[in-house]
Amino acid sequence: MKLNFTRVCCPSNFSTFIKPSLCTNLHRPLCSSSLSSSHTSLKPQIPLFLRPPMHSATVSDLQKWHDWAKCLASSVGTTFLDSDNGPDSSLLCRELKWLVEDTIEDHSVLSQMSIENGKRSVRLRAGVEDLYNMWKQRIEERKPFQYIVGCEHWRDLVLSVQEGVLIPRPETELIVDLVADVVSENEDLREGLWADLGTGSGALAVGIGRILGSRGMVIATDLNPIALSVAAFNLQRYGLQDIIELRQGSWFEPLKDVEGNIAGIVSNPPYIPSDNISGLQAEVCRHEPKLALDGGLTGMDYLFHLCNGAASMLKPGGLFIFETNGEQQCKCLIKYLESDLRGSFCNVDIVSDFAGIQRFLIGFRQQQT
Amino acid sequence: MSFLACRKSFGIYINSIYNRRTSFLFSSGSPISHTTTETPSGPIRFSHSVSENHMSPSRSPINRHGSHQIPLPSTPSVSEKPISTSGSPIFRREFSGFCSRAIPSSKNPCQFHQNPSILTPFQYFCTEAAVQHSTADGLTVEGIVTSNWPILDETESDWKSHAAAIAQSIHLIKKRLKWKKLVVRLDLLSMQLNKPDIWDDPVHAGKISREHGSLMGKMKAVRAFERELLEHIDMINLAREENDPEMESESLKALLRMRRNSKEKELQAMLSGEQDSCSCYIEVQAGAGGTESMDWAAMVMQMYKMWAQRRGYKVTVVDEMSGEIAGIKRATIKVDGEYAFGYAKAEVGVHSDSDLRIERFRAGGAGGQHVNTTESAVRIVHIPTGISATCQNERSQHQNKASAMAVLQSRVDQLEMARQAQMNAQHTQSLTDITWGSQIRSYVLHPYRMVKDLRTSYEVSDPDSVLEGDLDGFILSYLSASLDKDEDGR
Repeated sequence: MKLNFTRVCCPSNFSTFIKPSLCTNLHRPLCSSSLSSSHTSLKPQIPLFLRPPMHSATVSDLQKWHDWAKCLASSVGTTFLDSDNGPDSSLLCRELKWLVEDTIEDHSVLSQMSIENGKRSVRLRAGVEDLYNMWKQRIEERKPFQYIVGCEHWRDLVLSVQEGVLIPRPETELIVDLVADVVSENEDLREGLWADLGTGSGALAVGIGRILGSRGMVIATDLNPIALSVAAFNLQRYGLQDIIELRQGSWFEPLKDVEGNIAGIVSNPPYIPSDNISGLQAEVCRHEPKLALDGGLTGMDYLFHLCNGAASMLKPGGLFIFETNGEQQCKCLIKYLESDLRGSFCNVDIVSDFAGIQRFLIGFRQQQT
Repeated sequence: MSFLACRKSFGIYINSIYNRRTSFLFSSGSPISHTTTETPSGPIRFSHSVSENHMSPSRSPINRHGSHQIPLPSTPSVSEKPISTSGSPIFRREFSGFCSRAIPSSKNPCQFHQNPSILTPFQYFCTEAAVQHSTADGLTVEGIVTSNWPILDETESDWKSHAAAIAQSIHLIKKRLKWKKLVVRLDLLSMQLNKPDIWDDPVHAGKISREHGSLMGKMKAVRAFERELLEHIDMINLAREENDPEMESESLKALLRMRRNSKEKELQAMLSGEQDSCSCYIEVQAGAGGTESMDWAAMVMQMYKMWAQRRGYKVTVVDEMSGEIAGIKRATIKVDGEYAFGYAKAEVGVHSDSDLRIERFRAGGAGGQHVNTTESAVRIVHIPTGISATCQNERSQHQNKASAMAVLQSRVDQLEMARQAQMNAQHTQSLTDITWGSQIRSYVLHPYRMVKDLRTSYEVSDPDSVLEGDLDGFILSYLSASLDKDEDGR
């Protein structure tokens, strides 16, 4: 990963505070300099659809696997759905279709699969043996489909994901829309410094980075080195290494040098109450990282922490958007902002997701008078 | 007196939770067809009502996402709604006489007898329609239009180009004045005025002769303009024959002046309705829908106030009833100024905004981090029509939304086209008949930003400027579309 200290198009008003900090990074081994791709122990996995088509199989072998996989998916029925709100057969069959799409190099084969003579050979990005294993893992171990294919389609992006990193959720897409709306009317924020705390796969940072364009700047932090290596892969794939800087550390810890200068803070922190984790659907509780899900006893440990931090880290007029578990957490946070952090923020509001759940808390840091 | 009730079309929207809609109630003190008016000075009034159910118009960027919010409990009740139509006559009486009237339509009939343009030796009312001017070599204005001379930039000193531009303007002006109908009507009026017993009923006779005078004035203005054009062409031809460059250049300059002048005449012709020059009332009315509908009503009212001020009209609030918490239940402004009615009449109809609702399809459970699913289908509902589209085949919610939006757009367009066709079929003389009770404009603040006129497809991507009163683009495009598409108004 290329680091930011060579950033060419840094606006002059940032250079005053960012550039020095980037220089100090060079001397801090724990910071972003340790995250370069040369860090071999943390080489991110390549998503299936990006792997070279080194394997091949005859159409009939592929067809055989496909029939088996479909049969397995159908046998699930509504078992998973009934037990923990997991996927039903129809959903699994659609995933199977996507798995085939990601695996086969030449998609035209798909339409001919049943009529083509079986001897013809097809180039694949994974061997047929692997495919059997993958689908077994999907059905028998309930491994999330996104970990199987190593990617998640999120907004207009295809992001690399792997075990150890939270799979970005559709709800979270809306944060990028919210940011886009705000910056479309506010040049000061559009050209300011943004922070994505607990970036995971880097979804929010990449989404926002693309909205800000070359004049913006995003710092994405995460405690988890696997997450940072995946995020580095993703932002590089979208050519955002000059706009997004990755820093390792807990929440605001790696941002001390930019305190009071951040234009916007976004975060999808762990917000599930600890006791609820074990009852989640198997894909989530058995496979996704607890670090990214467990928000403490009430699920609100990190949300409180983020609100506290935002009160001092944001510049006056700066925006924060945090994802929450729903109405209860949102209302509780609003109360907290109105009591303990009174006077710090203005225009605080709750925004619902497309399912109508009050999902996001949003607000601006009070302008100084 | 014509009061037009729009409650029927209103009913379609009554139960849509997220819809924020405003409709104009329109009534005119003296209706467009001048068969019932006793005095020419009745006030014109508009009213504008807001549906009871809608999302907050939201000034903050966050609230713009009205479609994500939890639906508000709706208490739609028709009886709770103030009925604008019943309120209107009171206002009409209160303010009748306030209206200024610029059209010189109240001439004494005797003046016509002195009219110098009457060609017959007797005092006889005629339309002058049969007169077809032409140049010395037989060129007519029609002839210029059909010969399709290239129209160059004004700066090019080419008399043919100027003449072609002017002739085209005259063509358009005639179309806008509904020339053929004008001629027929004038003939009819002339016939009546020529009856020997016409003055037995002086009131009726006065009315007939006023209208005759008004129409005659319009016709003569056009005829004079035509004649002027042809005379200048004659002059140019003459100047060339006699090799008089000075005279040629004079005539060329005169043509250029005419050409510039003709644009203004085109606009005037657009506002050639009997009452277009009048001042008018604009009323905005919120339905029984609580604070948000009243808030929207206030925004729409503000939009018209700002529009009127931009045009240099005097705005007086004649009636305002505030909402309990915010906004207005109803408000009426008087807009004083030339052609206020002519412009504002284009605004009669139903306005709606935030008319899309996006929802997660097959949503269930707590969502967010709780759930890992590849299911991200989205359904989008176009609230005014109830048309919806769902997409579930894409791999991200964002893409599902984009696909669903495209499908929805085409479905709504299709419906809109059918509606337009129906409306065109029903198109009658009166503009208000076209617009009455139908949605004329939608204001979409999310998920994309657009204000679109559904009659003309004229659209802008900046709702804020529209809500700040920048309406002339909409008004002019509508006026010209509704007049110019008229098949053969000559």
